[in-house]
Amino acid sequence: MTDNECVIHTEGLTKLYGKQRGILDIDLDIERGEVFGYLGPNGAGKTTTIRTLLHFIFPTRGRASIFGLDIKQNSLETRRRIGYLPGELEVYDNLTGAELLEFLSHLRGGVDWQYVEELAARLDYDLSQRIKTLSHGNRQKVGLIQAFMNKPELLILDEPTIGLDPLMQQEFYRLIGEVKAEGRTVFLSSHIMPEVERVCDRVGIIREGQLIAVEDIDVLKARAIRRLEIRFATPVSPAQFSDIPGVRDVQVHDNILTCTVAGELDALVKAAAQYQVVNVISHEPSMEEIFLAYYNQEDDSAA
Amino acid sequence: MLRNIILKTLRDRRRSLLFWGLGFVVLAAIIIAFYPVIRDATFITEYLESFPEEFMALFAGEITDYASAEGFLNGELFFLMYPLLMLVFSIGFGSGAIAGEEERRTLDLLLSNPLNRWRLVMEKFAAMVICTLLLAIVFWATLAIGGAIADMGLNLLRLAAVCFSGFLLAIAYGTVALAVGCSRGKRGLSMGVSGALGVYGYMLNALAPLIDWLEPFQVASPFYYYIDANPLSNGLDPLHAAVLIGLTIFFLVIAIATFERRDVAV
Repeated sequence: MTDNECVIHTEGLTKLYGKQRGILDIDLDIERGEVFGYLGPNGAGKTTTIRTLLHFIFPTRGRASIFGLDIKQNSLETRRRIGYLPGELEVYDNLTGAELLEFLSHLRGGVDWQYVEELAARLDYDLSQRIKTLSHGNRQKVGLIQAFMNKPELLILDEPTIGLDPLMQQEFYRLIGEVKAEGRTVFLSSHIMPEVERVCDRVGIIREGQLIAVEDIDVLKARAIRRLEIRFATPVSPAQFSDIPGVRDVQVHDNILTCTVAGELDALVKAAAQYQVVNVISHEPSMEEIFLAYYNQEDDSAA
Repeated sequence: MLRNIILKTLRDRRRSLLFWGLGFVVLAAIIIAFYPVIRDATFITEYLESFPEEFMALFAGEITDYASAEGFLNGELFFLMYPLLMLVFSIGFGSGAIAGEEERRTLDLLLSNPLNRWRLVMEKFAAMVICTLLLAIVFWATLAIGGAIADMGLNLLRLAAVCFSGFLLAIAYGTVALAVGCSRGKRGLSMGVSGALGVYGYMLNALAPLIDWLEPFQVASPFYYYIDANPLSNGLDPLHAAVLIGLTIFFLVIAIATFERRDVAV
């Protein structure tokens, strides 16, 4: 992959804080035009990774480049082309939204103010309100507006939807879709699975400072563990199903079979087809379950 | 007022600056209002001179002579009150410049812009210089007008020299505060360290002439370079001013160098 296609590239990026772990040997390649989800629970190292990329904190070892430019040598140039939303955003709350955005736009050499107003309207944000008086969700909106307002090549968003009501989340997803359609790149961190599922092309899962998996979202879903409930016309015996590869936790109560299936359903469905099937209920895996599946695999291999 | 960090910082300080300015006006006016009384009542001068030399030196310095306008102002304002207030202002400003943004967690958003760290420190420093200079000018103007009304016969250029000298002293200490804030990111620590250095500097300069073994160390006090040449009577001593400016540059370099090399706290 050439640097041109690779928007974010890290090699063994490590940040250690004394005994407390930061991030360890993070290897990432984010391609131009993709929406990358950086998924992990609080304290896993998502914010540490982002703050290292933006050069707020310096890596203990390893290196990183953005737009093919080394973050240490070219921090200024990379930041010029990045829109950033800090996690747990704090802004100058003695200003109004319009004043804050005006100040930030001057620091960036000007923005298209019409676009600012369009963003504000779409997010239902009142630019004239003093930020001090705003709810958490409305503060988050001004954070999003400032990140999007320059139409940056790369958006780095740390927990972007925290505090947003569901309607505004939808609008945010539409904004992300537009950014992607324009060939720009998004790197967003989240611990909210449906969000990642909804907007991301690829997902990196981080746990205790280590990147444990990077997968296409479809692969992640496909590898997921599904819970299945099959209702037969007549009672069946569990033995016929428990030997099928990928099928676990088989339980039979009279003519109802419940089990979990990892990966493809084909073998199970064919086995079930020998009987008269009344109903099949499949519980679509949530990201929580996908996530837990990954975590459990890790635990198993560690044990 | 939001075009850059200097203007934004001035805007944030506008209310504080207004009250500080009013305070300086009131202080200068009150002291000058007392001048005719003290000048005409020789018993006060005699009473003051009856105090032990050490006591007077500690609060009014050796450049005090209550019979002259310059001596009166030196003793009442320029030896202690003026530099003390200027230092409180500049140290407060310097401590909060970077560490305040960091503690309020607004530094991340600021630094995410295409803005060098040294540039941020320089703009904050410039804002501190402008605000402190404004206070010095307000103080000078009030004394100039009040002095004319009270017929003190002050040389306005010399008056400006001592006000400016105090400004240089305040900036030197404010830059120490800036440097501690830049290197440690803690506003309280920065205020404590710079405030303590201010007190030591003052005491050293005030006591050194009275204590034999301390006397050689007087030149280690920044206060010495502010007032010892008596700028109100003699004008600004270029060498002494240069020492204060040199200190400022030294600590400004330290501020930038340490801030460039450290992690910014979340």
